[in-house]
Amino acid sequence: MKVDLNKEFSLPGTSVQAWTFLQDIRGVASCMPGAEITEDLGDGNYKGKVKAKIGPATMAFNGDIIIQNIDAEKRELHMIGKGQDTKGSSSATMDLRAWVEDAEDSKSVLQGVATVTVNGKAASLGGRMMTQVADQMLNQFGKSFANNVASMGEGEEAEMARDKIAEQPGELNGLAFAWSVFVGWLGSIFSSKK
Amino acid sequence: MDTVADKQEREGSLNGVGCSRKRKEDARFIQGKGNYTDDIKMPGMLFADMVRSPYAHARIISINTEKALALPGVHAVLTAADLKPLNLHWMPTLAGDVQAVLADEKVHFQYQEVALVVADDRYIAADAIDLVEVEYEELPVLVDPHKAMTAEAPILREDLVGKMEGAHSKREHDNHIFNWQAGEKDATDRVFDAAEVTVSQDMVYHRVHPCPLETCGCVASMDKINGKLTVYLTSQAPHVVRTVVSTLSGLPESSVRIVSPDIGGGFGNKVGIYPAYVASIVASIVLGVPVKWVEDRMENISTTAFARDYHMRGELAADSNGIIKGLRVNVLADHGAFDSCADPSKFPAGFMHICTGSYDIPVAHLNVDGVYTNKAPGGVSYRCSFRVTEAVYVIERTMDVLAQKLGIDKAEIRRRNFVKKEQFPYTTCLGFELDSGDYHTALEKVLDAVDYKGLRREQEEKRANGELMGIGLVTFTEVVGAGPSKSCDILGVGMFDSAEIRVHPTGSVMARMGTITQGQGHQTTYAQIIASELGITSDEIAIEEGDTDTSPYGLGTYGSRSTPVGGAATAVAARKIKAKAKKIAAHLLEVSEDDLEWEVDRFKVKGVPGQEKTMKDIAWAAYNNVPEGMEPGLEAVDYYDPPNFTFPFGAYLCVVDIDKDTGVTDIRRFYALDDCGTRINPMIIDGQIHGGLTEGYAVAMGQEMPYDEEGNLLGNTLMDYFLPTFVETPIWETDYTVTPSPHHPIGAKGVAESPHVGSIPTFTSAMVDAFAHLDVTHMDMPHNAYRVWKQIKALGLLDN
Repeated sequence: MKVDLNKEFSLPGTSVQAWTFLQDIRGVASCMPGAEITEDLGDGNYKGKVKAKIGPATMAFNGDIIIQNIDAEKRELHMIGKGQDTKGSSSATMDLRAWVEDAEDSKSVLQGVATVTVNGKAASLGGRMMTQVADQMLNQFGKSFANNVASMGEGEEAEMARDKIAEQPGELNGLAFAWSVFVGWLGSIFSSKK
Repeated sequence: MDTVADKQEREGSLNGVGCSRKRKEDARFIQGKGNYTDDIKMPGMLFADMVRSPYAHARIISINTEKALALPGVHAVLTAADLKPLNLHWMPTLAGDVQAVLADEKVHFQYQEVALVVADDRYIAADAIDLVEVEYEELPVLVDPHKAMTAEAPILREDLVGKMEGAHSKREHDNHIFNWQAGEKDATDRVFDAAEVTVSQDMVYHRVHPCPLETCGCVASMDKINGKLTVYLTSQAPHVVRTVVSTLSGLPESSVRIVSPDIGGGFGNKVGIYPAYVASIVASIVLGVPVKWVEDRMENISTTAFARDYHMRGELAADSNGIIKGLRVNVLADHGAFDSCADPSKFPAGFMHICTGSYDIPVAHLNVDGVYTNKAPGGVSYRCSFRVTEAVYVIERTMDVLAQKLGIDKAEIRRRNFVKKEQFPYTTCLGFELDSGDYHTALEKVLDAVDYKGLRREQEEKRANGELMGIGLVTFTEVVGAGPSKSCDILGVGMFDSAEIRVHPTGSVMARMGTITQGQGHQTTYAQIIASELGITSDEIAIEEGDTDTSPYGLGTYGSRSTPVGGAATAVAARKIKAKAKKIAAHLLEVSEDDLEWEVDRFKVKGVPGQEKTMKDIAWAAYNNVPEGMEPGLEAVDYYDPPNFTFPFGAYLCVVDIDKDTGVTDIRRFYALDDCGTRINPMIIDGQIHGGLTEGYAVAMGQEMPYDEEGNLLGNTLMDYFLPTFVETPIWETDYTVTPSPHHPIGAKGVAESPHVGSIPTFTSAMVDAFAHLDVTHMDMPHNAYRVWKQIKALGLLDN
């Protein structure tokens, strides 16, 4: 089960701040709800885990993150994440290119192109919600990323962003997440009608 | 007393052939007192669960069982490495291939069996499978069978690399299984080159699953004291399983007992031998205790035998009047990762060569290539005789396409091409000898019953109003009752079947057969055959099947073979008893056998009223007063090797109304006329037809097993997989004609699968007919609302 995603997030900070944060792999990983880097293996290789609770099901993925390339000129990061759930019944791969672009008013934009592949029970059972789930996970990621960039600045906004980061849940919030997936799905039905 | 009324009363009291005797089985089923494999409980029994692959194609780097073994209550974790020393990590399939019991170095399909966990209960086993750590390295996945034989295709079966001599033919590619052909290629090509009209239609008979209510399972119990292995198993062919288990385990066949208890539907899903059976048997032998394994619904749909996945092209050559001159059929068959089809050994594409249908076709050529893909193995006959559903689909669809091209009505083109009543027995150009038939009568009866002309008029009006109404018509011929052992065998065992009948001193009967009922009602219908043959009421006739220790060897129940083969054996065994009974009667009445005549339940001395002996009298005498030199007792065994197949046929008509905005289809009417020869129990026949039509409706309108590019099966739960209930199921109207089989002892042909085989193309025929005026010639199944809506949209019929 393969899904291609294109995402664009407006960031409150400058492109320099955003690019600085994008290179902080632990920081970037922490923007993904329920994800964390557990080990730095050197040479751009990391071990990490993602835990998500959706309804009654908890899925925990252990895996490897490989930084394929960091292109300072293009301000682009290319990484691959590969994981298998701890029960051995599903696996997921994400190939992500993310880059930072300048925007007006000293702000910036984070662009992302990702291909997510899911195998096993997660694909069989969750296949039909896959696009929405991946989409919502990335939306949460984008919000968190923006907060992190904002927090690098000064003043009230940065202060608020730092508070939000501190309040961020340690794993995917099941109910709120399910709701956002549902809303996203409804949206996709009505938008594809024509 | 010797009146016609008396005779009729005695005949009626037999509850024999032709009466709608109530099903003997139902008393226990409707009270929840059936005894299925999962009901078997044995002292000290452990439970097995299977670790399965999340990947469709991957190399196994390592398997770590430590954590699972450390869980309290876990007794063993078996992997290929444990089975290797026993040479049981691979097993032979019924199709001449081998299949991994537990994945050996590689996994070839998603959900493939990787390790078997055995624990105190099924909860612990389920927890333990999560703790077995398997490290995989993903490999490129092959899902599309059309890409299987290309140069770029990943090679799936490393165990077969370089072995280009396959079980059925030379292999042309490492992913090629076999090529199989029937008919005359050159002669057919010449007919096509010279023909006035030709049509060609590609069609996909999608992958579906029989999905019986009861999933597969077994309880293996090795008794180490007496060296006997007993396996309770949901099998449609327990005797064949015994032979295979004996061969694999090295135990003498006399030390292996297979018991098929009550079975909650088979439909071909329970013919083969599955890896978990072998692994459970090994576990029981190793641990010395009974081990139960029962699959869940996801495992059932994902791993135990699927059906079809035939990618077909049908071509007809005809003259301008629609008279067929030749038929060409090409098939690409997706068999999944292992060839574990359950077909007679010499027929890797089953009886696909029945694709000439009900028509008088002078020349034909059939070409089938089987290939491997990263999908679950199978290719069984889902409620049909071997590949007959596919054959009927391709010919009936192509007939419609020809009719459409020539502008001839689809009933008329069939009329023009039918094999005529007087042509039977008729040998088809692909080699079957059709035993009997009366196709014209069947078709006309259906057309009259539904007012076909009226329906066509109504359709004209609806089309003028922009409404979508379709009329589907199919006139099918099935080949069932495999089969004559000169051509049909499974693992070298001829496809005969057997019956053993014992008449007790008091005149009741115990009969055992080599077949096994899974809902067909054998306990009811076999007794009716014996009742009519022997004049003993069926209520005093007990039928037993499924225990290999007590029943005679038989090939089992699938391919509608029980009545054509097992039923024939039953009638012949009963006739052997009757022949002996006649000798005893002559002895008792002190006359010559020639002076006796049979009447319902007794032998009478011709012309001497009152001089008679009933079967009950004779049964008693068989144990105390037999003629000199005759051995006492009254029993017989028959192993019946049929001289030919039987060929049930039918004419089906379906009317659909399609909602133009949503694609939702209403099956307004479905009229099914079946001719299965002699009708043993009309009520059971109706039940069989209702069931077969419902499963046909399921396949045509909703069931599918879609795979994504990575080989993930999307739709292996009943949330996705369509299992119609009363809510969705249309109303069925049934009808019949009776054209007995000339070679079957009682003229019966078998019926359970005809409605499935015949109905599926009828639905497609109706769906396509709704769009035929817009030049649509074919739509692939399943005809669910979304797919139909897409067709409507593609044709620009949506209002906005």
